[in-house]
Amino acid sequence: MKENRIITRTESLCPVCLRKTEAFIVTDGTDCYLQKTCPEHGDFSAVIWRGGIPMEKWMRHREGAHLEKTVTKVQKGCPYDCGLCEAHRQHTCTALIEVTQRCNLHCRFCFADSSASKNTDLSLGQIKTMYKAILSVSGTCNIQLSGGEPTVRDDLARIVKMGKDLGFPFIQVNTNGIRLAQDEEFVWALKHAGLDSVFLQFDGTKDDIYRKLRGRELLVLKEKAIGNCEKYHIGVVLVPTLVPGVNVDNVGAIVRFALDHIRAVRGVHFQPVSYFGRMPHAPADGDRVTLPEVMDELERQTGGKVKAADFKPAACENALCSFHGNFICRSDGNLVPTAPKTSCCCKNTAEEGAKKAVEFVAGNWSSRQPIRQETEPLSDWDEIINQIRSDSFSISAMAFQDAWNVDLDRIRDCCIHVTTPQGKLIPFCMYNLTDTAGRPLYRDRE
Amino acid sequence: MKETGERDFSWICDRCKKKLEPRKVKVSYLSGNFEVELMQCPRCKAVFIGEELAEGKMLEVEKGLEDK
Repeated sequence: MKENRIITRTESLCPVCLRKTEAFIVTDGTDCYLQKTCPEHGDFSAVIWRGGIPMEKWMRHREGAHLEKTVTKVQKGCPYDCGLCEAHRQHTCTALIEVTQRCNLHCRFCFADSSASKNTDLSLGQIKTMYKAILSVSGTCNIQLSGGEPTVRDDLARIVKMGKDLGFPFIQVNTNGIRLAQDEEFVWALKHAGLDSVFLQFDGTKDDIYRKLRGRELLVLKEKAIGNCEKYHIGVVLVPTLVPGVNVDNVGAIVRFALDHIRAVRGVHFQPVSYFGRMPHAPADGDRVTLPEVMDELERQTGGKVKAADFKPAACENALCSFHGNFICRSDGNLVPTAPKTSCCCKNTAEEGAKKAVEFVAGNWSSRQPIRQETEPLSDWDEIINQIRSDSFSISAMAFQDAWNVDLDRIRDCCIHVTTPQGKLIPFCMYNLTDTAGRPLYRDRE
Repeated sequence: MKETGERDFSWICDRCKKKLEPRKVKVSYLSGNFEVELMQCPRCKAVFIGEELAEGKMLEVEKGLEDK
């Protein structure tokens, strides 16, 4: 029998009562688990790391950021003071605004599904106040308009333009793509308003995946949505929610599909499933897929075209939250990683990480903009810039946390913040986290 | 020298006293290898990279290849 060893000590929450607990990240030599005990509700264990890359080799030490401007004071302690509070250790890289809770799909897995306020959209005035709150706390960070399904709002282009007029350089819409496929005029209006990027829910290359996860066949609509974004020069990032037994075996095909649509598609951003809403039973470890498993599967399913070693942790969020790799797609279809193989030994600060991440997302998830010179031939440097602009491609993933696997150390490093109508900025996982009865910690309470 | 590849023949190598010539030079950054035309000393092979190029297109290439 394997012997368990504690890698690190942290804090978590009881999934039943959301009381703060001491927690341990424990390894049996290969896999890692977050384990905790609630004095009232007992012991809990959830797998958080499984695969070829050992967690201890992946972890990075980084100095936390000092936030000049915060919204809330430390009173009850993390994670009960989110807003951002004085103890938070990372700036906002991306601020989300949920512009509606309405949707045109009924998905098996949905962050916003537990929301009670489904019938009332935010007013334009409220949205402006939220933009201004973001500006005041986090400056001109990247913006993601989310939902619900934001494209059910006919005034979405006005919301994009409002953000642009306030000075936000990068605005992205998180969408299932149905309206983008069916309403070309709507896509034109979004582009005209200044939309930079579409974060397109894209769970796979087969319709049985969509039937299982989204309740209907959607592949044709996804392709049409990508085509319309290409036509109006809006960058597309494919965003698969990965669910064991449904589409983990499709990651290689998703990358191939993305490369076949590289004129519009800037990258793939995988999101391993996390569990929110009413859950009478804890998700089994088999119901989860962890980041190193996704990296291993990418290598296996692409026949080594992409290698697990091509990926590294982001400098912005906590290392255990994500991986990313940046590539140039050669004309023969091969992917050449642009990051060094060896990991950097220099000590990164959270500030530097946040700045780089904001710039990277804005530059690499927007539409491709090659240099065109009508009169004279392009210089060698222009040709290289064009190659990077035309053929760069990113593969990344982010592991969200739920009540079973949440590590408060990671929450304090979070750079993706959901904006509330009251102007608070709540770390994404905290905003969406619910207890076993489906009661949220923050959503609808703010 | 202009960053657009415009050739400037007025530079002389300080060490060899030879006039620089436009030549294809291999440059590498991270995992990328490229061939670009730069003004080069025909004897010692030293290349000249002007401020405009270093802070303009060359920097853009660097940033394009860098990760977050």
